[in-house]
Amino acid sequence: MKKYFYVIENALLNLSKNKGRNFLQGAMIFAVITTTVIALSIHNTSVTLISEYKAHFGSEVSISPERMPSNLPGITAEQALAFSQSEYLRDFEVSEPDDSSEAVDAVFYLKSPELLEAFAAEVRGKGLPDGYKVDIDRDAYARMVTPLEGLQDISFTFLLIVLALGAAIMVLLSVIAVRERKYEIGVLRAMGMKKRKLAMGLGVEIIAITCVCYLFGMIAGWLLSQPISDALLTGQQSAELMNAVAAQPLTSVKISVSPLTALEIFGVAILLASIAGIISVRQVTKYEPIKILMERN
Amino acid sequence: MSTLTLQNVSYKYEGSERLVIRDVSLSFEPGNVYTIIGKSGAGKSTLLNLLAGLDVATTGHIVYDGVSLAEINRNHYRARKAGIIFQGFNLLTNATALDNILLSMHISGVKGINKKTRALELLEKVGISPEKANRKILKLSGGEQQRIGMARALAHNPELIVADEPTGNLDEDTANRVLEVFASLAHEEGKCVIIVTHSKEVIAIADEIWSVDEGVFRPVPVNEG
Ligand SMILES: Nc1ncnc2c1ncn2[C@@H]1O[C@H](COP(=O)(O)OP(=O)(O)OP(=O)(O)O)[C@@H](O)[C@H]1O
Ligand SMILES: [Mg+2]
Repeated sequence: MKKYFYVIENALLNLSKNKGRNFLQGAMIFAVITTTVIALSIHNTSVTLISEYKAHFGSEVSISPERMPSNLPGITAEQALAFSQSEYLRDFEVSEPDDSSEAVDAVFYLKSPELLEAFAAEVRGKGLPDGYKVDIDRDAYARMVTPLEGLQDISFTFLLIVLALGAAIMVLLSVIAVRERKYEIGVLRAMGMKKRKLAMGLGVEIIAITCVCYLFGMIAGWLLSQPISDALLTGQQSAELMNAVAAQPLTSVKISVSPLTALEIFGVAILLASIAGIISVRQVTKYEPIKILMERN
Repeated sequence: MSTLTLQNVSYKYEGSERLVIRDVSLSFEPGNVYTIIGKSGAGKSTLLNLLAGLDVATTGHIVYDGVSLAEINRNHYRARKAGIIFQGFNLLTNATALDNILLSMHISGVKGINKKTRALELLEKVGISPEKANRKILKLSGGEQQRIGMARALAHNPELIVADEPTGNLDEDTANRVLEVFASLAHEEGKCVIIVTHSKEVIAIADEIWSVDEGVFRPVPVNEG
């Protein structure tokens, strides 16, 4: 291990020597990480929210005539009580009957949205006549979940584009950097430095830049994700309002950067750094030192 | 100390049909200074590259310590056995003179001495002051760079020293100082020193002189210089 010490030391020294190039490379990594943070945290937050909303609105079941207007009577308190005795439910609410009829408003809360079919079958088995539907509030569901699903799609596409572009940029920068440093590499190889150590040195440089940029990128991304998410949601809703009836719209999603998101992004950063590293190393091993030195002299 | 032997060595550059080195057989012994003279384009630098393990012979063998250079790890050979002084210096221009030498020592795995002290001693020997030692290569003159290249080649105390026009950029006094170093390396420390040169002063310290023309090597009697 000790014999590799100077390789690391030299790599870190190189970072301070080539400020211009390192700054450019750092700025690119920073940009990629910032945008990844934004995309990923919006994506993760919308995924979480969707599952929460789905669970919430997807489990709120009511029983009503299939076609409106209808002259079918509403269900009675007696029926509602019978239906509520189900192992698929976690809770239910029944209103007081109207004065004019025996009809009640009943809401049944499923243990989970997938139980809807089973519950409907059970209710029909208990004597619910045809002409009634057993369903969740589709309108409210669409109003809440659709904009989020749109956001999720957008952020995912965005994430993929950022990663593809990021990888392309990193590859390009590494190729340029190694080309610029070809002579330096030739000199080191001529002095007898092993390819493995040279590669390691380049790797250390890239990883060091990446780690610093990761920190700054995380901070910038964290600061920017919330305003961007708000803006995106507003856009989604105006489209949604066209066919949605007036109801409490979804105005804001609280974006958070969880430790998992942070870790995922670190993984992305390291992945990008590795791509850059592997490209650099392939370039290094391609050159014979004597050829490089002759080109120069 | 080991002998470096060329056995029917020929060389041509990739993509060219012309032999730049033609069927050379000769031997370099420890404790001697060899000079190689010849016209520009005769093949001198090409031969030094082969001796330094930077390139391999197209045909024939270059044998060091009983093994062909084509068969050994030439990184190791360059890092431990040979010290190379290039015609074009080939220093890391963005680093200081001292760092160039220290890095070379690290690469060569030099141990058991104070590297910085030895680096400064070597630089002093070739006339580079400690103040200049801490300057970036870019901010030093051609002659200074040439001597730093020499100090670097000696940093790992190699048995074999190959130098391409090492006095090309030096004034007479500085050249003499450098030549004394070469002479003492061979005659007092028993190194094998091989110098390509046009200079009469360098030829004067030679134990053996070879002249090369169109890749063919011929011995030159020493007194004729
Ligand atoms: N990379 C190369 N590819 C093809 N031919 C080359 C290459 N490098 C050198 N040569 C040719 O090989 C011959 C010998 O070159 P070399 O550099 O060994 O000459 P030299 O004796 O060192 O000359 P000088 O005194 O000018 O340094 C020259 O004719 C040169 O044109
Ligand atoms: Mg030459």
